[in-house]
Amino acid sequence: MTEWNTLFLTFKLAFVTTCLLLVIAVPLAYWLTVSSLKIKPVIEALISMPLVLPPTVLGFYLLMLYSPSGFPGRWLHTYLGMRLAFSFEGLVLASVIYSLPYIVQPVQSGFAAVPDNLRDAARIMGKSGWEILLHVYIPTGRISIITGSMLAFAHTVGEFGVVLMVGGSIPGKTRTASIAVYEAVELMDYSLANHYALILTGSSFLILMIVFLLKSTKSVPF
Amino acid sequence: MCRIAKIKNILRCLVIVCVVTGCKPPGEPALIIATSANMQFAMEALSSGFYEEYGIQPQIVCGSSGKLTAQIRAGAPFDIFISADMVYPLALYKDGLAESEPLEYARGQLALWTLTEDSLVTLDNLCYAGTQYIAIANPQTAPYGKAAIQILENYGIWDKVESKLVYAESISQVSQFVLSGAADYGFIARSIVSSPEVAGKGCWISLDSTMYAPIRQGAVLLKKKDGKHPDSKLFMKFLFSDHAGAILKNYGYIVPHRGEEDE
Repeated sequence: MTEWNTLFLTFKLAFVTTCLLLVIAVPLAYWLTVSSLKIKPVIEALISMPLVLPPTVLGFYLLMLYSPSGFPGRWLHTYLGMRLAFSFEGLVLASVIYSLPYIVQPVQSGFAAVPDNLRDAARIMGKSGWEILLHVYIPTGRISIITGSMLAFAHTVGEFGVVLMVGGSIPGKTRTASIAVYEAVELMDYSLANHYALILTGSSFLILMIVFLLKSTKSVPF
Repeated sequence: MCRIAKIKNILRCLVIVCVVTGCKPPGEPALIIATSANMQFAMEALSSGFYEEYGIQPQIVCGSSGKLTAQIRAGAPFDIFISADMVYPLALYKDGLAESEPLEYARGQLALWTLTEDSLVTLDNLCYAGTQYIAIANPQTAPYGKAAIQILENYGIWDKVESKLVYAESISQVSQFVLSGAADYGFIARSIVSSPEVAGKGCWISLDSTMYAPIRQGAVLLKKKDGKHPDSKLFMKFLFSDHAGAILKNYGYIVPHRGEEDE
């Protein structure tokens, strides 16, 4: 029972995170593709930080950020009555930051492959940036968007260090499957650890296989 | 021209790094002591006491007892295991991974700790609406977490606070949650709030030790494939000496009478 609860929570977290990421990452990737601003490399580097940063570093900063003794945490607490540490919302925010590069990078490279003349044609017809994104880039780069969201989803399912730092392992709220594996191993309950591990391994393999299947069909003309 | 000079510089640095890190004489491997998280600070004091007495500096690996046990089962190269309870070291002994049954070196005490109050800390504070999160160590794996649950049940406030509990991976994560302000209160080992590292931060009270089952902490000498470390027995002897007992008392442990392991 608790096992299903934990798995449900894990996939719910991944799903909510991926939905939010789609809204954030697609326009962001589009902006990164078309922009020629000088600060672009700075922003690209910032987005990609979670790829190389130890999750404990991100977890530590988030814990500081969420803490009601710090400025942002106090502000959220007094004005919105929200406390992000040890809450599902806090995990969602952490996961959005942590999985952002996993969706932005594939989408950005997908958008970069869209021929310039398509964009130019749309612009000559007087279309705005948003219209171009909606009617040119998203349909053309749809495979890369699907790929990116699947990677972000899988990465969120597999998240461990950040959740350990800010989650507080509350059953049904912040105890995700990767934490449950860790705790089961500590409890010397290897069969429970094995259950979770098998499901996580299976779902990760499935997701990655779909990603690579999509990749092989990528060259289909639009 | 300039670029070549730069590359040469980088190469030079690399060579220096390789030489410096590679030049350590092989010598005797250090005595490695796996230490449960509640003993973290006390162990530092113990190891410097051991160094003063015998001139040997042990290496300390810190973690929750459960994690360390899993690592020992997987062949971690530890010489001694200082656990937070008797269950884990006993399990290791039964699996043939320890030299003998665990010996109780100290009895832990539980404290309630907060940074939010300036003076009085009481268990009643936990029930206030203003208290949103209370950190305890995972009761399934950590004896201090188990003791915290017993306290809450024995004082009859379990129902009121259960929804406020957040579970830390080990007792040291409880202190992390309290120190960062993410949790309002934390059930912590006295040894942590008694340590110089944490002293003066917030307020704490020691909880009535008759209200929870004694936290008996055991130590075992581990079996190793490549033979025992020559200093491991010496450390066990030191751990049960009066010198070590005084250090442990300083950190808020109750030290059982030396020489009689069982009641």
